[in-house]
Amino acid sequence: MKKHHTPQLAGVALIAFFALFPFIYSAGDYDYIMHIAITGFFYAILASSWSMLAGYAGQFSFGHIGFMGVGAYTTALFCHYLYLSPEPTNICTEFLIGEQYLILVNPIGVTSSTLTQDCLRQALSIWDGSVQITPMPVWLGIILGTIMGGIFGLLIGLLVLRLRAAYLALFTLGFAEILRATISAEILITRGQAGIELPHLFDNGITLFGHAFTRTDKLPPYFAMFFLLLLCLGILAWLAKSKFGLFVRALREDQDAAAALGVNTTRYKVLVFVITTMMAAAAGAMQAHYVGIITPNNLFLLQMSLVVAMAVIGGVENFVAAAIGAIVIEFVLEMLRNSFDIGGITVDMTIWRLVIFGILLMLTLRFSRNGLILPLIEHFTRGHVAKETVAKRAAGASS
Amino acid sequence: MEFSYIFWWVIAWMIFWALVGSFVTRRIYLHRDLDTSNATFVGSMLGAATGPFGLAPLWMKSPDLTNRFVVFPALGAVTLIAAAFAFADPSNNCVANGSFVASQIVNGLIIGIIYGFMALGLSLIFSILGVVSFAHGEFYMVGGMITYFATVVWFPGLNPALGILIACAMTFALGAAFERMFLTPMYEGKIERPVEYGILVTFGLAFTVQYFVQAVAGANPVKTQRYIDFPRLRWPSAEDPWLVKSSRGNMELFDTVSISNPRFTAAVMCILVLCALLYFLHRTWTGKALRAVSQDREAAAIAGINPDRMNMLAFALGGMIAALAGAMLVQAFSWLPQVGNIPAMRSFVIVVLGGLGSLPGAFLGGIIVGLVEAAGTGCIPDAQKAASYIPAYGMIVLTLTLLLRPTGLFGRRFASGTHGKF
Repeated sequence: MKKHHTPQLAGVALIAFFALFPFIYSAGDYDYIMHIAITGFFYAILASSWSMLAGYAGQFSFGHIGFMGVGAYTTALFCHYLYLSPEPTNICTEFLIGEQYLILVNPIGVTSSTLTQDCLRQALSIWDGSVQITPMPVWLGIILGTIMGGIFGLLIGLLVLRLRAAYLALFTLGFAEILRATISAEILITRGQAGIELPHLFDNGITLFGHAFTRTDKLPPYFAMFFLLLLCLGILAWLAKSKFGLFVRALREDQDAAAALGVNTTRYKVLVFVITTMMAAAAGAMQAHYVGIITPNNLFLLQMSLVVAMAVIGGVENFVAAAIGAIVIEFVLEMLRNSFDIGGITVDMTIWRLVIFGILLMLTLRFSRNGLILPLIEHFTRGHVAKETVAKRAAGASS
Repeated sequence: MEFSYIFWWVIAWMIFWALVGSFVTRRIYLHRDLDTSNATFVGSMLGAATGPFGLAPLWMKSPDLTNRFVVFPALGAVTLIAAAFAFADPSNNCVANGSFVASQIVNGLIIGIIYGFMALGLSLIFSILGVVSFAHGEFYMVGGMITYFATVVWFPGLNPALGILIACAMTFALGAAFERMFLTPMYEGKIERPVEYGILVTFGLAFTVQYFVQAVAGANPVKTQRYIDFPRLRWPSAEDPWLVKSSRGNMELFDTVSISNPRFTAAVMCILVLCALLYFLHRTWTGKALRAVSQDREAAAIAGINPDRMNMLAFALGGMIAALAGAMLVQAFSWLPQVGNIPAMRSFVIVVLGGLGSLPGAFLGGIIVGLVEAAGTGCIPDAQKAASYIPAYGMIVLTLTLLLRPTGLFGRRFASGTHGKF
């Protein structure tokens, strides 16, 4: 039974490694490596929640990146259009809440701000620095984004309830596309392709354990994203171990049989949709604040392809494998960026790496359907069980 | 819009009665132990078109819901939306300007034929393999790319017909090779969920091909010359009034409708190939075998048809059809490695609208989507927004289809395999 604990120990070691990594690592490309790690965590959240949706519940949704975008755009619009001010501007739409005025900035699109300023900027130039306005807190935006992702997940989940397999994939893909089209088209509100700028995750800097970090330091967002990833993995682990995980897997195997055995299929289908979309939305909101800008291009199909490929290569039927796969692949893809020459021909690796990645995805699907990392985990957890079963069957057959 | 509130009130009224109609009609038909397969659709459409006045007799008499009941309320609902729009915005270009409307309709029809042709390939693949190919847009893109490279880069001055043939042959080979290498494990029951495997592996192909083309061809848009010039013509007489006038790149009908040469030739080509395809499917042994496999795999196998061979043929043929559409349109649009995404989405919409696996449904669905897109781009007041929302029009059609009539226009039940499960 000693083998049984290897994955747990490996998991603890991995968490300890990532928790200590920023303090140990001190090479010149520190910021770059940290940035890759943060992006890796971001993709890990998306891939692991997608694996819960696709691998456990069997709902192959291609709209995950759309829900990510819902979270990101909710917090972006929230931070971009709402401010608190102690004085009324008398130009904007504003509501008195307690001592403060909640100011709703009028959307002006991407017109040059020197010509047609929005009402708040006009008011600020009138006040000339005499009034201090407060932007909305970032954490509130992230929470709102998460909730909004859940609401969208609920609506879409109810809509796709009756759909299976190909229909579900098509519909969710369409949802992501329609969302992108809407965001690109409504330039007045979302600023279209120009994208919305967001305040940084810790815009005024943060002091942790007596060390002051500026807003561009990588350490605070690293741990913020890392803890979000751990939180998501914890929730997923709890769900997978509980009755919920059993029920959604029953849904995947045979929906009618599950319903006949008393599983409320409607409720669990919608529930798994809502939970995973909320995770995607939370990740999107945090990543948007970390990067500082969100554009419709972040919702491209390419991003969805990356998430799917990461989950599949890691192992779509295990969310931990999917998360590890995402982090590993993010690092490998970044490492492969360097172009090189063969016989005078420059190979542009920025694109060829994606070709290689696509071929790897297809080969993984074809020859190792459980992904590349899941078999490793299973080797340690269930290897002996499988052997026992094989031995028992062999004994049964011979007798 | 001047009186936009009229339009939105009519829409709200229609949605309300459509919801009431869909739920109550289904309830009543269930209660009276009648066939409910069309009840939701007919109830919602009749509710949308006539409100309570049509629904009340339907609920009282509950007649058999034949095709008559399916078609007319749907047409009525569409007419009502159009009328409400016309009243709400009388100065709109697509209400006031008759020649603009005619032009939009003709161009919508022409582009719809091309869409329908492309969707036909996807429908063919689905009807035989039971897989929705997510790489369909990439076959379209590759078809156009190969034609461009063959006629402009590799052999400058090559006859475009030969370029198209090369593109078809290469995509056919690509489709066949991919099917042999990656889709064969689906048929042997080795995979737990073959439909999902098919989706993911074609998705992987799409990803790979798109970046492969970008790596090889670069990310600059390319375009070929017109394949054929129209003759200069003025018919029936050289003097006015004339019915048809054509210059090399354009053709004008009745002094109002203007059709551009590349789209016209593409549509004509699509119709010709469609006729050839119909002949192939209905008059040759291989074509009949294909149709037999799509109806019932096991029965076809008993009759001496190798279903696996038919799988390969169907996937390669479906990909080639998309590539042909791409090869014909590379003379009309700028070509980029990402150019296949929107046509792929559109093909999905069309195939679901027509009924997954139905070939006539795909063609008719294509024309409907072409017309809807023409109406959408023509009628939305803000032209820039109208263009940005192009992918959304199809999605509205898709959502309505999935909600109201998931089997599509000509959906049918499949005898075996993973088809028809949704």
